[in-house]
Amino acid sequence: MKTKIYTRREFLKNTSTAAIAGSLYFNLPVKGIAQPGSKSRVVLIRHTDILDGKNKVNTVVMKQMLDESVSVLTGQEDISKAWGQIIHPDDKVGIKTNVWDRLPVPPELESHLKKRVMECGVDAKKISINDRGLLSDPVFLNATALINTRPMRTHDWSGVGTLIKNYIMFVDKPWDYHGDSCADLASIWKLPLVKDKTRLNILVMLTPLFHGVGPHHFNPKYTWAYKGLLVGFDPVAVDATGVRIIQAQRKVFFQEERPINPPPKHIFLADTRHNLGTANPDKIELIKLGWDEGLLI
Amino acid sequence: MPLFLFLVLCMIVPDPTYGSYLKGEDSTDWSRILPESISGWQKQEDRGFNRNNLYSYIDGGAELYLSYGFRTVLSRIYLCKDQPDLILEIFDMGSSANAFGVFAHTRETVDSTFGQGSQYTEGLLLFWKNNYYISILASPETPESKQAIFSLAHEIESTIPEKGKLPRLIQCLPRTGIIEESIRYFHHYIWLNTHYYIADTNILHIDPTTEAMLARYHQAGSRSLILLVIKYAGSQQAETACRDFIAAYLPGLGQKSSLKIEDRSWIGYRLFHDLLIVGFNGESQKIIEDIIKETVSNYQNL
Repeated sequence: MKTKIYTRREFLKNTSTAAIAGSLYFNLPVKGIAQPGSKSRVVLIRHTDILDGKNKVNTVVMKQMLDESVSVLTGQEDISKAWGQIIHPDDKVGIKTNVWDRLPVPPELESHLKKRVMECGVDAKKISINDRGLLSDPVFLNATALINTRPMRTHDWSGVGTLIKNYIMFVDKPWDYHGDSCADLASIWKLPLVKDKTRLNILVMLTPLFHGVGPHHFNPKYTWAYKGLLVGFDPVAVDATGVRIIQAQRKVFFQEERPINPPPKHIFLADTRHNLGTANPDKIELIKLGWDEGLLI
Repeated sequence: MPLFLFLVLCMIVPDPTYGSYLKGEDSTDWSRILPESISGWQKQEDRGFNRNNLYSYIDGGAELYLSYGFRTVLSRIYLCKDQPDLILEIFDMGSSANAFGVFAHTRETVDSTFGQGSQYTEGLLLFWKNNYYISILASPETPESKQAIFSLAHEIESTIPEKGKLPRLIQCLPRTGIIEESIRYFHHYIWLNTHYYIADTNILHIDPTTEAMLARYHQAGSRSLILLVIKYAGSQQAETACRDFIAAYLPGLGQKSSLKIEDRSWIGYRLFHDLLIVGFNGESQKIIEDIIKETVSNYQNL
């Protein structure tokens, strides 16, 4: 079967907002989304006090944000019951974090996640927080449940570093998945170590990186204090929402349309090719909580 | 001399370039040349990487360098109490054209303070000279670290005596209206999409055997004109690429060489031997056709 080619002109024909070729993938028809017949719920929560003037995380506010977002996501006001829907006492839980030194997952978030998992009745020995060493981590190798968290940032090759991409450490040779702008990263989610184990996805949007230069693709100039978390069960829906925020910030900063480059096709293909979730905003129920200044979405 | 004896001698007498090439080693011994200290910062450690292990150093970012013919990088860290670490990287890109290409990939301003082109942004200095692309990072920036970065850059650029040649293809680009900092040079279609999204597949057949240049031009109206010039390994390859591009991107073009499309801009193209020229975003047919014509003329005069 001949593969359909999506050109800039295809996007121009199919939408009135022609400028952003990458994000126009969102308008593609969705095939076999994760939650048939229903929308993927994504919670965006922001708090003006989560960071101080030096971008240090306020632990108390972080706990509030995580708890409130999980409550709304699950529809359970009682936080214990909310977490009880996510983690069971007999689970072995791998919390897949991200340690990239310039923009790591805040330890305050990691520790509160661990605390909530323990409150579900899981022994501390059966919980591990790991990133680059998870393939030699007994908890991850025997995990029954995964919690996936990372900050969002632009990326030279894949367009953006995403929740989908965060699982690349589950493979021996991550670079094997770099072909064609990391197009098929979602296939990692079908590996036995990962498949059907992810219970929660948290995309950290405290100080996202929206542009990069140089070998390490990082400069604080291209981050901003968005002070948010995106939380959901569907990683594709969460990533797709995060990308829209990054894209909007690029327009604000550069004062012109500057599509994320290269287009983060792995998000769209996670939907249309790998059926991991939905990237279509029409199929996403976005719930916005908290601070709304500079919301961008 | 008997052949056997010749071969034995070849094995005994070291060839200073051949051995280095096989290992992907830079012929310049930067570890010995670089200063041990700079403006109060002291050398901490050196690490070297080649094509085989660059992923382990900049995982996820290695493809950019590999696609530009990267050979080696020396990474050195300098430390200074109460100051940010100073991270120096010297990439040997194998040719000056590729050093220019990787530098231009994220260039946003035209500045030649260092080397043959440089860019400084809040603690990060990038510049290129001859075959080398150099990055010096100290984040967050302090007045002292900025001074140290500039001092180190001066030392390095004085160590590279010769300037390198720009890609020859750059001479094809018409000069009138060109936005200098927008010039890009690459050998991979992903980088085309980075600068101007065309399609999710490689419909223009851009690969390591091709040279591609892209530049933006001022024109009346709000959007800039985009000129893409691709030199293929031969006429046959250019023809094939042109045919596939038209089929995917300009179906129904017929015998015309330019077309008004959905966003009311003009696209034009011209195939000239091994060269394919495509203009996007033209405000008028004349603008597109004129710039393509001038590009062909420049190519003929190379």
